[in-house]
Amino acid sequence: MTGADKERLRQVRAAILGDRPDTSLSTTLYPVYVAVIAAGAYGVPAAQQLFRTLDGHWLAAHAWTPGGAVVAACVVALLLVVVRLVGRVHGPVVPPLPYLELVVSSPMPRKVTLARNWRLSLGGSIIGGLLAGLVAGAGLAIANVANPVVLMPATLGGTLLGVVVAELWLQGQVHSSPLGLPKGSSLPRGRRNALSMLDITGLKRQSASNATIGGAVLAGDLRTVRLDAARPSTHARHVRLRASGPRMVIARRDLLGLRRAPWGALYGLGFAAAGSAGLMLSLQSPRTPTMAPLFSLIVAYLGFGALCEGLRLHADNSGTSRLLGIAYRDTALAHCVVPVSLWALSALVADAVLSLAGLVRPIAFVWALGIGILLAGSHLMASFRGLPPAGVFGPNAGVPALIFWYARPLLATLVVGTAMTAWAARTPAPWVAFSWMLILTGGVVLWGLALVDKRDRRS
Amino acid sequence: MPGRRSAAIPAVSEPVSHVLRATGVGKKIDEAVLLLPTDVELGRAGCVVLRGPNGSGKTTLLRILAGTLSPSEGEATLDGSPVDERLGSTRTAIAALIGAPATYRDLTLVDHLVLIDSTWGHAGDRADARSDEILELLEIDHLAGRFPHELSSGQQQLFHLSMVLLRPSSILMLDEPEQRLDPDKRDLLTRILLDRKADGSGLLIACHDPAMTEALADTVVDVQSA
Repeated sequence: MTGADKERLRQVRAAILGDRPDTSLSTTLYPVYVAVIAAGAYGVPAAQQLFRTLDGHWLAAHAWTPGGAVVAACVVALLLVVVRLVGRVHGPVVPPLPYLELVVSSPMPRKVTLARNWRLSLGGSIIGGLLAGLVAGAGLAIANVANPVVLMPATLGGTLLGVVVAELWLQGQVHSSPLGLPKGSSLPRGRRNALSMLDITGLKRQSASNATIGGAVLAGDLRTVRLDAARPSTHARHVRLRASGPRMVIARRDLLGLRRAPWGALYGLGFAAAGSAGLMLSLQSPRTPTMAPLFSLIVAYLGFGALCEGLRLHADNSGTSRLLGIAYRDTALAHCVVPVSLWALSALVADAVLSLAGLVRPIAFVWALGIGILLAGSHLMASFRGLPPAGVFGPNAGVPALIFWYARPLLATLVVGTAMTAWAARTPAPWVAFSWMLILTGGVVLWGLALVDKRDRRS
Repeated sequence: MPGRRSAAIPAVSEPVSHVLRATGVGKKIDEAVLLLPTDVELGRAGCVVLRGPNGSGKTTLLRILAGTLSPSEGEATLDGSPVDERLGSTRTAIAALIGAPATYRDLTLVDHLVLIDSTWGHAGDRADARSDEILELLEIDHLAGRFPHELSSGQQQLFHLSMVLLRPSSILMLDEPEQRLDPDKRDLLTRILLDRKADGSGLLIACHDPAMTEALADTVVDVQSA
């Protein structure tokens, strides 16, 4: 940055601030202060409690083996992939729209006008990584899962991860540009000029989306967040929906929707297979730690959710003129056919592979089928929950109440699925546990259908 | 161009005579008056046009008569029974375009029409043929493979009209169907609606276009501002 650039930026900042004092330093440091306090006061106790709850002895025995290293590497790789994808929707360099219109659009070099936003995101990512490493290391040490020396590499690793996360986040944003990369440039070779590669249209789009999503999050409107973040479909436009019976055509619609969102479908099928495999493996030994079905259910919930776009779109459409010839509830149930069928297919493949490897008994597939119904019920709940009630925004409720309200479908899945799977693994009569799981699953499905009917009445 | 409509496209689901009636229907929310008490009666093969300034309550009246909103006073009935969109009989009789209808962002225009037609029990080649024909009728057949987010606002309006015209009904309820359409398309829409009326469909339309009103209306109801 030349002296002239610095002076021009100083003048811009002076013009933006007017007579107000420059509070940018305190505004930047305050979140860091809050994050440090929260990490120490809540993060470390929560982490060590989590490690104890998840069976500290089992973790201590397995975390430092080659298998543990592979799992950790996979988790980090997944995180980095997700970060890069997030960058395409919401990158690290997203100044407010007026700044984009008045400053970034000017002839000043973009690597100058955007440098401050990038430094803030980079700093936030590094501090976040450092604190995450510190919290995880302290939790492992206090829970006796690892030697206290782990604190040093964990903190250092977290910090390095923070740097890599910020870089990939920026790469994702640069690659999302509607103009593409300039001719002859490539990432990471052109990393030094990454800020110059950000075009004004992409920056404005992300900034406007940022404002929309920010408002929607504050209002608890996850539907707006999802629709704003998702890219509109343009794949396979020449494939036509085949006419069929009233319910069959809904299932065909969902299959076509997945075909037009192939990455989402692959992600859903992959997570469904991994989640169902984890659940079937969890049944095999009474010594399986409770965290195995818990994590498997989280993976399964995410995978099943990726296959439920048709169900969510149906819920999004409540309140508009009805054009379909079948009732609202029937349409919702018809939208469950594809996700449940694909879940069953994924579980069947996972069961076959694991059975051939001698890791599970083939009958474990029946358990995965039951979990599929549970997931359908919880996704009915999630899709038709609507907006949160005004009560959760009240002075006596706060953020935890809002999070709890949103997390109810996931919590229902985790509580029923984890408890019943852990019980089935430990009891000599797993069919009793299976029967109870079906009863509780019925409750979750009925809860979901009640929410469908509620949305129907409102529309 | 009357007569262009293909025989494959259903103007009316059943040649059944329905009577849709609003008697002293009004709507208030707390102290806010959305609609003053109004009377409307629509019989078979008639057309009632609702006129009135913005905010006079035309859309509110249409919602009440479509059975998606309950009145604060008065009564809205279909063949003597309260109108309720949740009842299959109401949905079968009334096709309404009040605001933007439900669309799936991952379906093309023709997919939407095939989906709608299939859910009304028209499976097989008929649904494909009828979907193509309704797009052709509204002169948007060249957009069949587009997704809804790829349309201009006028094309969106024609697409919305195609969906509501395709589904079987005996009463067609449209809220300002002329909006965002150019003069040629308004003429086209008027001709299509005249065809529907000639085929025995009842029409209830909120409209600001004097030419359309003149061409279509058997009865004009002036909705008074609160």
